[in-house]
Amino acid sequence: MQRLRAVPGLLLSFGKRIYAVAVIGVTAWVSFLAIRYLVVTLMVPSPPPPQVTGIPTRLDRAVLDTRRIEWAGVASNENPRVPPAHYHRLDGWIQPDPHNNCTQSGCHAPLPHSRRKEVRAFLNMHATTMHCGVCHMTSERTPLPLKWYSLDDGEACDPPAILTAYARLTAEDAMRPSAVQSQTAALQKELAGLLSLAAEQSDGIPSLSELARHIAAVSPTGEAFGQLVDAARATLPRHFHGSYGAKLSLTDSARGDPLLGHPGTAAPVREFLQRGGNLTPADRIALLARIHPRKRVQPLQCANCHSPSAAVLIDLAKVGYPPARLRALSQPAVVRMIQQTYEGRPMHLREFFTSPSPTK
Amino acid sequence: MVLAANGPAAASDPDNCLFCHQFRGLSRFDAPTGRIHIFAVEPSYTHELRGPHARLACTACHPREEVSVIPHREVSRVNCTQVCHLSEPDGLERRFSHAPVAEMLGRSVHAPQMLHGLQFAGGPLLGQGQSPCLYCHDEPVFRNLEALLPSLALRGTRAFDRCDVCHAEQVPVDVAYYLRHVAARIQPARPPLEQAQVCGVCHSDAQVRQARGLSDAVASFVRSFHGKAALLGDNSTAACLSCHVRSGQNAHSMLARSDPQSSTHPNNVADSCRSAECHPAAQPRLAAAGVHLDLPTQRASLEFWIAAAFILLTLGTFGPSLVICLLELGQIAVGRHHPEAHDTHRLIERILAHPDGRTRLTRFTVSQRVQHWVLVVLFAALAITGFPMKFADRDWAQALVQTLGGLQTTRNIHHWAGIALVLGFMGHGVYCLVELRRRARRQTGVSPAVSYWRALWDLPMMVRPSELLKGRHLLQYLLGLRPDPPTFGRFSIKEKFEYIGVFWGTTLLGITGAMLWGEQYLSQYLSGRVLNIALIAHTYEAFLAVIHVGILHIVNVMLSPHVFPLSPATITGQTPLGELAEQHSEYVEDVARQLGLDVRTGEAHG
Repeated sequence: MQRLRAVPGLLLSFGKRIYAVAVIGVTAWVSFLAIRYLVVTLMVPSPPPPQVTGIPTRLDRAVLDTRRIEWAGVASNENPRVPPAHYHRLDGWIQPDPHNNCTQSGCHAPLPHSRRKEVRAFLNMHATTMHCGVCHMTSERTPLPLKWYSLDDGEACDPPAILTAYARLTAEDAMRPSAVQSQTAALQKELAGLLSLAAEQSDGIPSLSELARHIAAVSPTGEAFGQLVDAARATLPRHFHGSYGAKLSLTDSARGDPLLGHPGTAAPVREFLQRGGNLTPADRIALLARIHPRKRVQPLQCANCHSPSAAVLIDLAKVGYPPARLRALSQPAVVRMIQQTYEGRPMHLREFFTSPSPTK
Repeated sequence: MVLAANGPAAASDPDNCLFCHQFRGLSRFDAPTGRIHIFAVEPSYTHELRGPHARLACTACHPREEVSVIPHREVSRVNCTQVCHLSEPDGLERRFSHAPVAEMLGRSVHAPQMLHGLQFAGGPLLGQGQSPCLYCHDEPVFRNLEALLPSLALRGTRAFDRCDVCHAEQVPVDVAYYLRHVAARIQPARPPLEQAQVCGVCHSDAQVRQARGLSDAVASFVRSFHGKAALLGDNSTAACLSCHVRSGQNAHSMLARSDPQSSTHPNNVADSCRSAECHPAAQPRLAAAGVHLDLPTQRASLEFWIAAAFILLTLGTFGPSLVICLLELGQIAVGRHHPEAHDTHRLIERILAHPDGRTRLTRFTVSQRVQHWVLVVLFAALAITGFPMKFADRDWAQALVQTLGGLQTTRNIHHWAGIALVLGFMGHGVYCLVELRRRARRQTGVSPAVSYWRALWDLPMMVRPSELLKGRHLLQYLLGLRPDPPTFGRFSIKEKFEYIGVFWGTTLLGITGAMLWGEQYLSQYLSGRVLNIALIAHTYEAFLAVIHVGILHIVNVMLSPHVFPLSPATITGQTPLGELAEQHSEYVEDVARQLGLDVRTGEAHG
């Protein structure tokens, strides 16, 4: 019994000793760091900090896996310079997709199209909005089963806020200038929230967050709100850059989850990466077939989506594209340009003069 | 903002190029060269007229015959000196060329033939045939207008509504554009940190520096007072162009330091420092201050050796204190106790049983505790506002400065806290003098001089030779070389040294801080080089103070198992009994004697 009574005291004493050892460790370590800092900063020459030199001087493969906002110094500068070989501003950048198995496996670059000079950049333009599988994987269903997935976690997510906001702004029964003044505060809150989220999803578009701030600040029944809604409707399409923080993908037939790679191909991918240079042509073809079990023989073509009848194969309206945006994507100038490019006939820029920009 | 978002009339994309080129993915990766080719442009640049080139059509730089068909033909390199046409608000076009700038550059230290010959570690930065202008220039953007005209931040472009009454149609002028253009031009085109980024492209490249015999001027700049301010977001601080561009000239006419016309030539550099926006009231000797002082590469300098001396001072003061602190914690860890602590503990209990016992055992008076907490607040304020300047390149420093409201606010807090600390220090000096006088008056039968001398010697924080021996005794005990620890009175040798440290530190930091604050006044009497020394002394002494307080003092009064989570002595003035018994037994015995208790038995005398 006496021994039992002594247990709390012993435990307390033991705990005190362990705590003392921990304090000794932390104190000694922090002191070491402090003294080392003093000595190193006096004795060892060091280059400028990342805020000065951390901005990439070259646009090479490494920057494809980073977000613009991750480039050192960006947050603390007004307009940090772009890599020297590139003149135009890079306020925004391709959003890396850490969940795309095709690029994360090490087989394909995030901007994968490089063969046909005439179309490679146009095709890469779509790599920021949709997973490779949308065009390159087979699907049993028509129209294709599509879902948005978040670039943050690879999980299914809602349509990008900018599309939802544009849908609200361009809906036939809402937001018409004459009707604006009667809109409720809830609508104002929704719109401000969507625009704010859209700015965030695009890694920060200042004018979008500014617009959200202004919309949230005015009276929903006032004239200013109507003007701001008009401004939002006019300017929002300028921000359809393909940076939504999300991409479209096919879904797997079993669970309906986003399909971010060919299922069950990890082993052949590893084998290919290990043996790549030593494969015979026949082995290579066989292995590539195992790596791409759902590969479309003929990938989807531009005209499959950029046409007024696209919904038969790819129903973008179902995944949140508003009608106004769909009309822009399938307008005659675009369709004609695609057709002529594929036919090897150049299209002269003046044909665009009369064609409304998708931004308008 | 809304009007700007709508796009002023002069914004130029007449060929509808943004139809495709606004998409960020309009790019390709060229695996053989490892380069990314980006064909996307930022549409907001044109739509929101964010820079002077927003008024240019793409075909002003890219030949129409090459880009007017899709797919585009092979596009030739842009020649920045070719003639282009600016769209004016009245619908007219104005011919323009950068050829005069190219002429200026040809006479400068950055002549194009030199730029063409640059070779970089890791290979060329530019593509074949690209203009060397790209080493420094990307698409020019107007500076943030709100920083220059804060009222615009609230009113936005509506501030120009009045202008448009006349300038919309009758006298067509895009007022918003011109205001932004002029505002951008009356300040450097880039804020200080971006200037360092631009200059760092070449001046921080190892191969360029080696080939041209250059020091890493950007590295030394960002470690200077100005550079750290730039890192912390201060756009008013001096940057590369502030010193290296002659008054009335521009960056394209920068000259080598050896050129007598150069703004950094020894004959001219003082005038560069004393420009109206920098240090107008300074004397020429201010220029001796080290804008590019880089201690690791200047080991023959006095400044290096003063810094080295401060490191030795740190090792010599902080080091022994650290050893004692760790050894004391070690005693707890191994369960070693003061062999006579039980006796002292019993004596304390008897003292506490006396009606005056608790009061007599209070080691810190109310006045002392108040002074301590004032010191705590001011010290914390000074450390929080001063350390971001020392560690300006760390993310936490930048976040902290932003949280505090920017560098200017942070500096103001630092200055005022410094003034308060010095005033508090002077107040404590008066407190000591009053105490000294009170004690001197108690002395009888001696001359006033002797009484004051004795009173000074008897002040409780005075370190006596016997206590130095006790310090050695303590170390031997903690190392297990002696069985019994030394006995201390009201204040231990550790506490006395900490107190002396505050005296020394406040004096040194106060003087050097005032020197740095009044650099222009100081230059009336002393060389600017004294500022280097003041800065070194200020920063190293502050570091010593912060590690001493932040590590050792915090362990002693907060983290030590004896006092965790906070020693009550800081609030009630009463030391925990365990600590009192082990470290202040002489004091306990003195109190017992004052109360008429027998020190050995604890019983009251007859």
